[in-house]
Amino acid sequence: MINLRRHRAILLAYLGMLLLLLLTSVVAPGFLSAAHLRSTVVLAAFIGIVALGQTFVIIGGGIDLSVPWVLNAAAVLMTLAAAGQNGPLLYIVPLLLVAGALVGAINGLGVALFGVPPIIMTLAVNVILQGGILVFTGGAPTATAPPAIQFLAVGRIAGFPVILILWIVIAVVATLLLSRSAFGRYLYAVGSSAAVATFSGVPTLATTVAAYTLSGFAAALAGMLLTGYTAQAYLGMGDPYLFTSIAAVAIGGASILGGSGNYIGTIAGALVLTILTGLLPALNLSNGALLVVYGVVILVTVSLGSESIAAFLGSFRRARRGDGAAL
Amino acid sequence: MTMLAADSRERRAMPGLSPSLKATLTDRAPILIPVAMLILLVAIYASLREGVFTLDELNLDTAAALTLVLAATGQTIVLLRGGIDLSIGGTISLGTVLAATQFRDDPAHVALWTVLILVIGALVGVVNGVLITALRLQPFLVTLATWSILSGTALIILPIDGGGLPSFWMAFGSRNWLGLSSAVWLLAVLVLFWLWFRRTRLGIAIRATGSNERSAFLSGVSPLGINVATYALSSLFAALAALYLTTQTGAGSPTIGKDYILPSVAAAVIGGISLFGGRGGLIGTIIGAYILTIIGNLVFVLSISSYWQPIVSGVILLIAVLASSIAERSARRSLT
Repeated sequence: MINLRRHRAILLAYLGMLLLLLLTSVVAPGFLSAAHLRSTVVLAAFIGIVALGQTFVIIGGGIDLSVPWVLNAAAVLMTLAAAGQNGPLLYIVPLLLVAGALVGAINGLGVALFGVPPIIMTLAVNVILQGGILVFTGGAPTATAPPAIQFLAVGRIAGFPVILILWIVIAVVATLLLSRSAFGRYLYAVGSSAAVATFSGVPTLATTVAAYTLSGFAAALAGMLLTGYTAQAYLGMGDPYLFTSIAAVAIGGASILGGSGNYIGTIAGALVLTILTGLLPALNLSNGALLVVYGVVILVTVSLGSESIAAFLGSFRRARRGDGAAL
Repeated sequence: MTMLAADSRERRAMPGLSPSLKATLTDRAPILIPVAMLILLVAIYASLREGVFTLDELNLDTAAALTLVLAATGQTIVLLRGGIDLSIGGTISLGTVLAATQFRDDPAHVALWTVLILVIGALVGVVNGVLITALRLQPFLVTLATWSILSGTALIILPIDGGGLPSFWMAFGSRNWLGLSSAVWLLAVLVLFWLWFRRTRLGIAIRATGSNERSAFLSGVSPLGINVATYALSSLFAALAALYLTTQTGAGSPTIGKDYILPSVAAAVIGGISLFGGRGGLIGTIIGAYILTIIGNLVFVLSISSYWQPIVSGVILLIAVLASSIAERSARRSLT
């Protein structure tokens, strides 16, 4: 019961996802076919991996707006350096993952050490990376993704999408990190109140830096995987992920103020967003309608998870039990 | 102990300055830093190009900066209250799209739709303010959601850039009075508005709520009233920015608004507005918007790739925010 109440927002997100699936199976019967579900899950995995870092940062009370160009930079640099060959990936992939993590660490240091508001720090890093990649490529990178990356992104093992296996592994690790590790406990503490956490002996600086580092790492990973899906890297490919990564975390029930949330909720958020994206063409709705629906879904899910609604429901429940309690 | 240590560090950091001068400097740092930056940038610009100190240059730069200035004015008001408004991107897109599809070549009709666009803008802010207050939701999420809804609406009305505006509407954008372009006059009106507004009850209440929400509410500021007023003003200025933008572009664009969301925050922050609310003013924001505009000019004059512009803007943003956060910290230290 206590668990139910604590995870109400996450349960709501999954309930919403199931409702959406039911709705789609009514309006678009082909939607629940194995092939379509598979492509939905593959697309959701990209949002899910980017949103992994965003989840950690938001739980820690921050936000990462540098996601789009960390993702884009990793994608562009990987395809250019590999030039369609699998061999160079052996050193390029680890190198770019470390580079992404380093960019995240810089974000974290700016926020935790110098007191720069997260919005500004990560925004500045995003535009600097954007400019850097534009200058470096001259505005038109042309290289295709190596076959190994394409296999990771769209390949299957016994009918099972490879990226889904990857996503499940990542999800298990992320959930264990948040619920079972000291880092997870520190992160919730820092997100609830950095001052209280510091006075309680939580290594605030290291925890914050670690969260942003993870976000940079996740964005770089997602960027390289995404090139396998689109078969090449292009400029601007990261831009949609700023909105979707934050939306997935919010729909998943995390408070943007920090201190609460869970990666399991974010997974539901990523799935909801992807199902919606697939649903609208079936209903013959335009891109504009999709944005309107996105906005409404965020508002509704966030309001359902909000404290005032919870307090309202709580007072309702108490009122019903009121007579008994008075005795 | 720690206080003493901080004190001695302070003394070592600024030897020979009297305490009152030091206090004044740290207090004024948020505005002095952007002023120094702007002077430096203009000096570099003037060394590279003839005729920087002419009315023509002022007219051109102001016309280029004014849309951002207007968008950042709304953002400034919201930031002073301690919030943030991402929905201005949607309001700007929707405003340009409505103007481009609804304006006819008839001044009365244009006047009607101008008022309608401003009313729609203000209503967007009222919705934001009500949602934030009544549901106790974070401004970031609410305005992210309404941004999405408004951008979607703009895309439904006009799927691609286009539409047209009456010639007299666009002529307004390039008209001069007494050698000064309409943009300069509009900027002057904006500054006058601000000098009046910041001393009104509402202006003081917004800043007070941003400094300390609890004490403002305890002294009688209405939470709903202040949020509705703040976000309505922000959206109203976004609608004004959209209308001005159409005089420059001559078309509507369902996606152009997103180019102003983060720059509006950046202009305000470079100008010394604190994201924690309560600190800063519009003059700083205007300077911030000019800094971002001059960076564009410099990149053009140096004839280096225009891709350098975001890099330089990002670095300037970081320098400004680092400087003001260090100044704020030492100000807080000298208070304790």
